Amino acid sequence: MAVEAQIPYQEAMELHDPHSWITKYWFSQDHKVIAIQYGITAIGVGLVALVLSAMMRLQLGFPDQFDFIDPEAYYQFITMHGMIMVIYLLTALLLGGFGNLLVPLMCGARDMVFPYVNMISYHVYFLSVIILLASYFVPGGPTGAGWTLYPPQAILTGTPGVDWGILLMLGSLAVFIVAFTMGGLNYVTTILQARTRGMTLMRMPLSVWGIFMATVLGLLAFPALFVSAIMMILDKTIGTSFFMPAVVSIGDSLDYSGGSPLLFQHLFWFFGHPEVYIVALPAFGIVSDLISTHARKNIFGYRMMVWAIVAIGVLSFIVWAHHMYVSGMHPWFGFFFATTTLIIAVPTAIKVYNWTLTLWRANIHLTVPMLFAIAFVITFVMGGITGLFLGNVIVDVPLSDTYFVVAHFHMVMGVSPILVIFGAIYHWYPKMTGKMLNDTLGHIHFWVTFLGTYIIYYPMHYLGFVGVPRRYFANGEMAIIDESVIMLNQTITIAALIVGVFQIVFIWNLIYSYFKGRDAGPNPWKATSLEWQTPETPPRHGNWAEKLPTVHRWAYDYSVPGMKDDFIPQTEPRTAEETAAGRTE
Amino acid sequence: MAEATGLRNLQLVNDWADDVAVFRGVPWGKAMMWIFLLSDTFIFTCFLTSYMTVRMTTAEPWPNPSEVFALEAFGVPVPLLLIAIMTFILITSSGTMAMAVNMGYRRKRVPAALLMLVTAVFGAMFVGMQMFEWTKLIVDEGVRPWGNPMGAAQFGSAFFMITGFHGLHVSAGVVYLIIVAVRVWRGRYEEKGYDIIEITGLYWHFVDLVWVFIFAFFYLW
Amino acid sequence: MADTGQQHPISVYFWIWALLFVFSAASYMVDYLAFQGYTRWTLIIIFMMLKAGFIVAIFMHMRWERVALITAILVPPGALLVLVGLMAMESDYTWLTRVVHFGADPAPVPLPPPSH
Repeated sequence: MAVEAQIPYQEAMELHDPHSWITKYWFSQDHKVIAIQYGITAIGVGLVALVLSAMMRLQLGFPDQFDFIDPEAYYQFITMHGMIMVIYLLTALLLGGFGNLLVPLMCGARDMVFPYVNMISYHVYFLSVIILLASYFVPGGPTGAGWTLYPPQAILTGTPGVDWGILLMLGSLAVFIVAFTMGGLNYVTTILQARTRGMTLMRMPLSVWGIFMATVLGLLAFPALFVSAIMMILDKTIGTSFFMPAVVSIGDSLDYSGGSPLLFQHLFWFFGHPEVYIVALPAFGIVSDLISTHARKNIFGYRMMVWAIVAIGVLSFIVWAHHMYVSGMHPWFGFFFATTTLIIAVPTAIKVYNWTLTLWRANIHLTVPMLFAIAFVITFVMGGITGLFLGNVIVDVPLSDTYFVVAHFHMVMGVSPILVIFGAIYHWYPKMTGKMLNDTLGHIHFWVTFLGTYIIYYPMHYLGFVGVPRRYFANGEMAIIDESVIMLNQTITIAALIVGVFQIVFIWNLIYSYFKGRDAGPNPWKATSLEWQTPETPPRHGNWAEKLPTVHRWAYDYSVPGMKDDFIPQTEPRTAEETAAGRTE
Repeated sequence: MAEATGLRNLQLVNDWADDVAVFRGVPWGKAMMWIFLLSDTFIFTCFLTSYMTVRMTTAEPWPNPSEVFALEAFGVPVPLLLIAIMTFILITSSGTMAMAVNMGYRRKRVPAALLMLVTAVFGAMFVGMQMFEWTKLIVDEGVRPWGNPMGAAQFGSAFFMITGFHGLHVSAGVVYLIIVAVRVWRGRYEEKGYDIIEITGLYWHFVDLVWVFIFAFFYLW
Repeated sequence: MADTGQQHPISVYFWIWALLFVFSAASYMVDYLAFQGYTRWTLIIIFMMLKAGFIVAIFMHMRWERVALITAILVPPGALLVLVGLMAMESDYTWLTRVVHFGADPAPVPLPPPSH
């Protein structure tokens, strides 16, 4: 079948137009509605996790001042905060939300290839969130095993939520993976098989590249989590011993024997490390587009950026055990995994250089999305550098399980992607609603969030160096704990509470601007990529008019010398001068 | 793209560099099924790797599958008799499935639907024999997921988990086959074309493929 | 697009079908004749790979697909080989530590009192 034969198929794709309120807003098959559903659910559950972190900070800053925080509750806060943030907020929002929104629009498709499966994906995700939150309403509450859920302790007496919480957590994860697989297959197939004419892979905006690679990683890495969730459920419910060695618990010899807790750690991190990049790669991609658009300059080294994304994706499967240097694994592994870990820093560094070089002598517009993008680059460098520390076995061993690690991963995969998400929402909100977000509120939100982040996480590096262990309910009278720690912890807590509360400004901005915002017009940022060239704003179901757009150039023709405008949309045919000048991309 | 270098002469590079679609001529459903199977491969490999790990780390003796899964035939114990029969049944079903795909593309819809139903029957037989095997193991040999009289507890755990998960795949495949076969029979795909049979076939052959690995690693190790 | 799909002479399928039977029988005989050690493993793996290869290549039509699809499907499982290889090493090491810790007789549970 010739390529040409595929386009009419795509143009004539059957769309199930909504007939009622319920098929329009709830059981919708429109990828944009599904994206918003994913977005709202993820942000909603993310706010829960934000409140949980505030509770933890209260205890850490002002120990024993609050009656409702006992050690059990504290561990439940930690666990739920971590799991929600990593899986149910970041993964769901970046792939379910932005993946759904951007992939068909940026590739020039009418919708995902299987809109029905896409719709089911969201509802299964919603179910997984319900199961997760249900653990607050069962005897014993949610699990307090830490987001890594390491056995044996995760399913033994002494851990909060050992009866119901852990099972609901594992079940919810399994359901989430089913949802992700249904969505992810759609994103990958759409990108590979349903682009519009002229849209080659090497003309795709980097956002799509990031989302594509992250989705591939998800499809290949989530199976490991799925398998470990099933095995741990079996260990807990019917008493198999996959992960459980012979254990003496509170004086009793348990019936378990011969299982391998290390197996769980390996499987978990075989998923867990790609998961870091599942969160990071879409952020990388999106931030590249934000920087290029708002700096009015083509992204520096586009091909290098693409290959860096691919290289990071490939390498992310062979670095997992750098999370396990102190686990007692095979002594040779440290060398292997430290080496691969340092190698993966190379493509990552290339990306940072390219962002910086894109900004170099560019026509930088300090819009709110741009502020967030620059904040991301800075924060990511901070988090990345500490990653080099922790990637080395010898440096990692003393820093392991201290606040240094907490600071590292919050900088690199907590705050960084969140900053990109904020920037992306400020950037694409006009396309989704037709209204601009309020600028003043945006600036307030940005500066409080950005500066607050540094007041929160910078001191944590120091806390780590002086040896404050992570995941401790209280430091008590430990001799190693310095006087300065107490004051710093109070500062961090106050900053965290302020930043947390100020997110209301953002939520308010979203609601306020929807009704009262300035009209955005079809292309407020004068951007080149396809989603800004839709015939209507917001785009209708099916995105495009009768014919799909044709792409003639890459997505980064900003400030092209000799051109009238400082941007040339991807749909604009190449001029004779361009061809004569030898500009081929 | 104008800069046609040597690499662009390779079909591989050319296809990936093309617009619209990377997998030229491959319908969306088939591409999606392939990618799903790739993901499923990771699931089964993680199961098998876990099994390998617990088996290699256990300090207790591992029961000999050749003896555990032996059946009496004419008064002599034949090792792995049932497993051998199950293997042959699954391979046979794969053969009939391949024929169904072929018939579909020849637009012979009734034979295609019939062959799919035959495949489904073989699949159901496989699941039935697996139930028989499980029953024998649980009732006669005393193997439980949490332990068994012959040695390492992980023998039962890994066995029930892996064959159970495979059995679920087979059962799901039987349902899938029946649904598609009925639709083929009714002529639902006369206009759209019969890619759907190939897609169903991909899934079914994959289930057979997994069994090849389970057979080698669980029963023959 | 319906008539351009994978069409191959039926005889191919019968051939592969027969071959799969032969290989299955052969790997069964490996067990029946009780080969042990490296012979057993070499034979099992060879027959397994042959069977898997024929199923994927012929029944799943991969042989007739374009290189782009073949590589996209066959390259990613390379990550699994790394996992399997490293887990095999890890298991050996775990087993070693268990034998060293529990002594020659690996059975005794509960654990012996710590020596330090």
